[in-house]
Amino acid sequence: MSGGAVSERNAPGQQPFQDRLVRLLAVGEVGVLAALVLITAFFYILEPAFLSERNIRAVLTVVSFVGIIAIGQTILLIGGEFDLSVGSVAGVSAVVSAQLMTALALPVPVAILGGMLTGGLIGLVNGLIVVKLKIPAFIQTLGMLFIGQGLIQVVTSGYPVYPLPESVGNFGMARPLLGMGWSFYFFIIAAVIADFVLRRTVLGRNMYATGGNQDVARLVGINTALYKIGAFMLIGVLAAIAGMFVMADLAAGTTSIGSGWELAVIAGVVVGGVSLFGGAGTIAGGLSGVLLLQVVQSGLVVIGVNANWQQIAVGIIMVLAVGLDILRRRFFIAGSGRREETIASEARPQTEAPAP
Amino acid sequence: MTEDTAFVIEALGIVKSFSGVQALRGIDFRVRRGEIHALLGQNGAGKSTLVKILNGVHSAGSYDGTIRVNGAAIAFRTPGEARERGVAYVPQEIEVFEQLTVAENVFAGQTSLGSGFTVSQRKMEARAAALFRDFGLPINPKSLMASLSAAQRHLVMIVRALATRPAVLMLDEPTASLSGAEVTRLFALLKRLKAQGTTMIFITHRLPEVMALCDAATVLRDGRVAAELARGEFDADRIIAAMSGQKMQRMYPAHRTPDGTRVLLELADLSVEERPGAHLGVADVSFQLRAGEILGIAGLLGSGRTELLSAIYGLLPYRGRIAVGGKPVAIHSTADARRAGIAMLTEDRKRTGLLFNLPVGGNITIGNLALFARHGLISGEREESAAVKAMRELKVKARSSSAAVAHLSGGNQQKLLFARVLMNAPKILLLDEPTKGVDVATRSEIYRLIVDLAETGVGLVVVSSELEEVIGLCDRSLIMADGRIVGEMSRSEASEEAVLKRIAAAQAEKARGVVESAA
Repeated sequence: MSGGAVSERNAPGQQPFQDRLVRLLAVGEVGVLAALVLITAFFYILEPAFLSERNIRAVLTVVSFVGIIAIGQTILLIGGEFDLSVGSVAGVSAVVSAQLMTALALPVPVAILGGMLTGGLIGLVNGLIVVKLKIPAFIQTLGMLFIGQGLIQVVTSGYPVYPLPESVGNFGMARPLLGMGWSFYFFIIAAVIADFVLRRTVLGRNMYATGGNQDVARLVGINTALYKIGAFMLIGVLAAIAGMFVMADLAAGTTSIGSGWELAVIAGVVVGGVSLFGGAGTIAGGLSGVLLLQVVQSGLVVIGVNANWQQIAVGIIMVLAVGLDILRRRFFIAGSGRREETIASEARPQTEAPAP
Repeated sequence: MTEDTAFVIEALGIVKSFSGVQALRGIDFRVRRGEIHALLGQNGAGKSTLVKILNGVHSAGSYDGTIRVNGAAIAFRTPGEARERGVAYVPQEIEVFEQLTVAENVFAGQTSLGSGFTVSQRKMEARAAALFRDFGLPINPKSLMASLSAAQRHLVMIVRALATRPAVLMLDEPTASLSGAEVTRLFALLKRLKAQGTTMIFITHRLPEVMALCDAATVLRDGRVAAELARGEFDADRIIAAMSGQKMQRMYPAHRTPDGTRVLLELADLSVEERPGAHLGVADVSFQLRAGEILGIAGLLGSGRTELLSAIYGLLPYRGRIAVGGKPVAIHSTADARRAGIAMLTEDRKRTGLLFNLPVGGNITIGNLALFARHGLISGEREESAAVKAMRELKVKARSSSAAVAHLSGGNQQKLLFARVLMNAPKILLLDEPTKGVDVATRSEIYRLIVDLAETGVGLVVVSSELEEVIGLCDRSLIMADGRIVGEMSRSEASEEAVLKRIAAAQAEKARGVVESAA
């Protein structure tokens, strides 16, 4: 809502600055963006090569693969569910499309569509089981993670699918603009669209309502089952697309595509302030979190820290970020649980909005 | 240190602020030994804040002033410390462990029940059973908490507080979720405790309860003490005046019963199958609701009245026929009900009303976003102006439409939910406990609103635990017991006594039926 304007015009004179500060800190993305800037500066000071064009491209390329899925995960988390199976869905979809274009010799676009259908179908199964059979998303998608890993082996018999048609490799090698591949531009466009949908459309608002309180959402006439299943299908398709981008990048359908992504995605969006309990978070926040984790990992590599320590750093940052976020909420936003019997409106002169 | 033992608990010169906003501005509050002391005031007057200070929820140091227990100054840092000193608190909101049994809930946090590290389930259940027997409450200690009704959960919470035999028991709106019979039972319990020497602080919005039960009353307004009254000085007008700072208008606005207007809603033999643990049943309910009519449904908690409304609103599957405006409709979902022009206000603001992740404005417009959207794209300006307009019309007090709903008082939250259900101009409005946990001033605003809606031709069905409300507000009242309509009264026939007699007769009939069929 553009409601901020109303109170700004009417806020009693003595507190505009404090008000503005509180509102700024209440915006979830501020913290993670500040951290991102600080950490980047830190690595740059230690090793200027960190901000070399080559390294920036490398970081952004990895971010674009994981980020495509993070878009779906952010939407799904806002809707009150989450998906642990994205890594293996990416892998299955990639090897399925690889087989379609090699073993079955289907045209490349048809094979790509087949890969997307695979991801969408797995998302549909996840969604139906979670929503209709009321099996917790944690269990269902963890199960699907294993099922997917098995399917990858079944589809490939354990060997990489290779060689792929030449056009696939060329697509993966293409650098249409600024030395970045297609995956990066797909990621940016998808992120902009998703952000717009969440902030400005009925679809987006209803997704927040669904994740905020499913019973309330149902009472106001929202078909919450449809929203949740839709979000599961969307993340399935996005995982498939990310998996196929990696396949194009490698010019091979390897069995390790997507392995370990599920945790990177969840850790990233959670660092970016997307709530695990549903109904809260933004695309900008979620993707900033993914970028932050990648910057840390890359920075540690650049300054020559042992790879084992990188994982430790990621773990610490995730817990720290979520901890800080909880503190922030406690101070700046009223918790949704307990309600204090102190009401700004009753202690202050009434500030009703003027007629437009 | 003075030793004035007449007072069990005293709060002197209490000042408390939340992020710069003063909630309490210098309060002196004293409770004599053995009395039931009413703490009154509108939502936002500071009652809960004061109680949370007395109970250690707001820890010493976060406020100015002195707390004395039995004359000795004490600084509680946690509710646990307060409890050790014999100060127990039963919050208004239900806070229980749903996955544990009743007995486990009663003794949660107490370690003296087993040998060393272990807990003896049997011992615990036996002691819980004894407690419930003592207090005359028919609740099985082995039941899972999740299977209990809201009223039963509240009683369990009270028993949990009593299990430690406190010197002072603070009850925050204990009757808000109780039906008439349960209130009577609770009051009997409280009187028994008083006879045993327990001092009680009783927060309520219901003045008749104060008259019936309390020995003294303190009225708060805007964080200050507005009046201190002894029992002989109790007078509803005086208390209301102290609470609101002005003379109250007549509580229920006049409304002329419409005659001969068209039928908006008709139910024929509507039944809902009971699902134990989930919801109660409704059997063969038929009625007509006319345009401009306020139809009351009087019945005790557990009479199936919420289930009846839920079925009409598409939340529960039903058998039977529903017709809207003379045309039969099939309602399988809330979306179906809304298309038919039906809207519903639910009983529980926190669980099924507010969306805490959306601001005030978003809470008002949710469900009706299509009104401000083209091709699914929301016009921020139109949404904002509609929200602000609704806030002004319903007098929702908030700093702006982007304020957090958790910051609003109960009355303002309720008005916000009214704004939401009225957003798409429903023809039929179902209201489940429309004034539950709402202060007196907001109540009369809500009554005014209900009558105004009726005058514009909306048909309203009002369910309430407070018979006085049903009788005062409604043109006609249906009396419900055990899922059936057992009587109907016009405004002129209805009285609390008549309704209660009808319910009692229905229950006696049913009991006789059971005996006969058993024989």
